[in-house]
Amino acid sequence: MLIMGEVHTGLLRNLGELSETECREVLRLTSGEEPRTWQRPLLYAISPDVLTGVDCRLPSSSGARIRGTGTVSHRATIVGGRVLQGSSYTTLLRSDSDQRLPWSHYLAAPGVVEVYGRPRWQDMADGFVTPEPPMDVLNVGAISGRLMGAVQDSARLDRKTPFKTTRTRLRWLFERDDARGDGRPAMRLTLGRDTMRTLRFTGEPTTDVVAFCEDLALHDWLLTTLQTLIQRALIGTAAPAQIAARLSPAIDHLLHLWMPGARVEEPFLPFWEELERHPGFTRQWTSSVARIRDQITVNTLSLLSVTESRREADGDPSPRRGVPQDRTQSHSHPVRRRIFFRADQRSRRRS
Amino acid sequence: MLVFAISDKGGTGRSVTSSNIVYRRALRGNDVCYLDFDFGSPTAGAIFNVSTAERGTDRGGMHSYLQEKVAEPYRVDVWTSSDRSALRGKPPGAGQLVLLPGDSSGGEFPTVPSVVQQCVRLFLRLDEEFDLCLVDLSAGRSYAADMVLAATARPELAAIPFRWLVYHRWTRQHIIAAAGLVYERRGLLDVGAAHGHDKRRLAEQIRFVRTAVVEPSSPDLSALRSTQLAWLDECNRDLHELAGRNRVGRTAMLGKVPLDPVLQWREQIIVDEDVYASQIANEGTTRAFDDLATKIFDERAWEGL
Repeated sequence: MLIMGEVHTGLLRNLGELSETECREVLRLTSGEEPRTWQRPLLYAISPDVLTGVDCRLPSSSGARIRGTGTVSHRATIVGGRVLQGSSYTTLLRSDSDQRLPWSHYLAAPGVVEVYGRPRWQDMADGFVTPEPPMDVLNVGAISGRLMGAVQDSARLDRKTPFKTTRTRLRWLFERDDARGDGRPAMRLTLGRDTMRTLRFTGEPTTDVVAFCEDLALHDWLLTTLQTLIQRALIGTAAPAQIAARLSPAIDHLLHLWMPGARVEEPFLPFWEELERHPGFTRQWTSSVARIRDQITVNTLSLLSVTESRREADGDPSPRRGVPQDRTQSHSHPVRRRIFFRADQRSRRRS
Repeated sequence: MLVFAISDKGGTGRSVTSSNIVYRRALRGNDVCYLDFDFGSPTAGAIFNVSTAERGTDRGGMHSYLQEKVAEPYRVDVWTSSDRSALRGKPPGAGQLVLLPGDSSGGEFPTVPSVVQQCVRLFLRLDEEFDLCLVDLSAGRSYAADMVLAATARPELAAIPFRWLVYHRWTRQHIIAAAGLVYERRGLLDVGAAHGHDKRRLAEQIRFVRTAVVEPSSPDLSALRSTQLAWLDECNRDLHELAGRNRVGRTAMLGKVPLDPVLQWREQIIVDEDVYASQIANEGTTRAFDDLATKIFDERAWEGL
């Protein structure tokens, strides 16, 4: 038995954040079923599960022709009215039959694909996590991508992006504890060369596994997007005002969304704890956030010092409101002096 | 932003100039993507030295995507996949440089409503990620040009600005052809209007780019005889006059790229190394590319004529 899925994460195509009501409207993918929403600790909206019927070749690292029939579940999530996730998943089970049964049989067990013959689970698992599987095997990622597209095309959205971001894909594979026993760690997260991440882990199968993977994908996307913003800001070489402008999308749209494990059920919390220990998701996040805030502070101080030097040049000796008299002597302040120096250096470099 | 690159005749340097424009924008920190819509001959991979997509890809390129045979189009990250060392490795502060190649075995296919819808979907999807999507269309009137004119007229794409670059060489035949491609019957404006574009507003989004231009005043021509120079000067004046008459004149021009031997012999990205280290390319060429890369986003260059 295997549970496999893929979560795509990206920014919602809307300038502002969506409210709870708007999230509900956007996620109403099927008639008759309402999306579910949570207000605490953050606005979460989850669409009802939708099924896609499949009858196709299944992944295999050895290239064996394995076939399966059944359904793939998929659902869309909006976090904080801002981040969209398309998630699809299915459980692979051995079929009792060696031929296709009526669809009513497969619909009775939603989100299950029955595998014909004697499945080699390990071979299928390895095939699923290869970066470029053959074109004709089951591609759950394509279902997630299509779902993302369906939500993004919603007429409720204004189709304007506040800033450009890349979608990330988390391909995950969950095996039953006893399926392994080769001494490898219970969880392995790999960041690929591009935006693909793979996660393999083992445990007792429950449906909560999907929520955990979505939570992990969300936080991985937040980290990835924040890192890209920081890289592009050219800290250390660009002017403070430019850096602050390039970092501002992070403050406006991302920083408040970090809440690892907020929606994860008890059995999966140890996985988060492990990720926090190594590689340390929150550690990286905290240091990145501190870096961004420091840059903004530096920019604010340099703006203040520019205003101050202008004031001095204009011959206005009046102390500023709320500032004690002895602090207005800016040149005696070590931090300010350094900022003056940096600002001078930059203006020289620019000229 | 969407930028469509088109020319009436082949061999204008449309693909190579467009590739260099996206490269220049990526260096400035923009996320850019180059879409190969030259369905009859998808060879954009060669310009970026991506051997795996030199003649398109067989892993679901543009053809397969637009005909809904694959869910996501195959994409090539040039910074990691190029075989050319000068292009490999993203420079600090640079943005994404992504190529969306065509199918290796693909050909032209007719514009049916489902293809236009898929094209709209693609542009929306890419706008999420890229500051600039440059769509390289084939030479002449093609299904691809028809498709993008239909797609950009759709209300779903109303929020995404688009612009057209019409490339032509600085010769009589090319000037007449470029004007025909835009203004004549069944030209871009006509077809655009048929798809629901406002003709006047569409015309404001079209600019011409002159390629392989030889300036009679250029120091490179100092070896020519005075009679030859005089003749060149006269030809140039005639061409200016012809261009003006055909509405391809200076006001409708976005920029011009000088004749560069490197581009004559090999379509390639011109990196700083080619200009300053090996000195095989001219500085004027990169300046022209830079100028075009700036003007594409410069509102003043696109003010109503």
